[in-house]
Amino acid sequence: MNGEMLNPIEFDNYRIWQKVGEIAAGTILGLSIGSLFGIVFAYSRSSIPASSNKKKALILAGIMWFVLFIIPALKYPANPPAVGDPETIYYRQNLYIAYLAISGFSALGLAFLYRKMKAAQAKKVIVPVIYAAIMATAYFAMPSNPDQITAPMDLVTSFRIASGFTMSMFWGLLGITLGVLWDKLRPHETARLSMR
Amino acid sequence: MSESNQITKTSAGVPKSAVAILLGVLAFGVFMVGFDQGEVFGFTVPADGYGGAPGNNWAHEFYHDMRHAAGFPCH
Repeated sequence: MNGEMLNPIEFDNYRIWQKVGEIAAGTILGLSIGSLFGIVFAYSRSSIPASSNKKKALILAGIMWFVLFIIPALKYPANPPAVGDPETIYYRQNLYIAYLAISGFSALGLAFLYRKMKAAQAKKVIVPVIYAAIMATAYFAMPSNPDQITAPMDLVTSFRIASGFTMSMFWGLLGITLGVLWDKLRPHETARLSMR
Repeated sequence: MSESNQITKTSAGVPKSAVAILLGVLAFGVFMVGFDQGEVFGFTVPADGYGGAPGNNWAHEFYHDMRHAAGFPCH
């Protein structure tokens, strides 16, 4: 669409089509992240310190939202269309994946450490401190997004707020939904025998 | 008067096949929405615009808005 003459009616139809795509892509992305969330919850449920499955699901959703969205967004925040340079897309994708992977796999490794550690109170401090140290190092060691922002900064900031709000709402609803469904379906109970 | 007892058997095991399927869904969906540049859905791109100017890669254009909203790098 760079510099082309646009027919406004055609463009309008195109945008309607593209917005349908956003719903479809949102469904696919939601299914994907939901799959990951389900796997992690199934394996970690017994170690999450909370009294009910609903609370456990919310706590896990909060941790994963922080590790997989907030932390990467602090280093490589979302940008509206036209900010990114098509020439640097593979480089930017590699940076984003690398930072996301450092955050995700550090958290995963630390989750195993958390489960192994005996000191119940101390580990609640030690584990987050190790994570913070790893991510602070990666934050300063990794290169920034190479693209210059040429769009007005208030537009970019509003976009980032909207993106953050959307993804936060997604993670929150994901946690609530999984918690409610887990209690309803109880998939960890392999057999229930009723005797009268 | 009736009395009912219930025995509930719980298991910490997670079916491997379910995990494998869900990991597949995760990889496919995140790659398609977040990272694909025509590698997987290149067949939707007209011959003259492979991987090139935005507006030609139709699969990319279709999930474009969500990629931006979710914070993935894009054009």
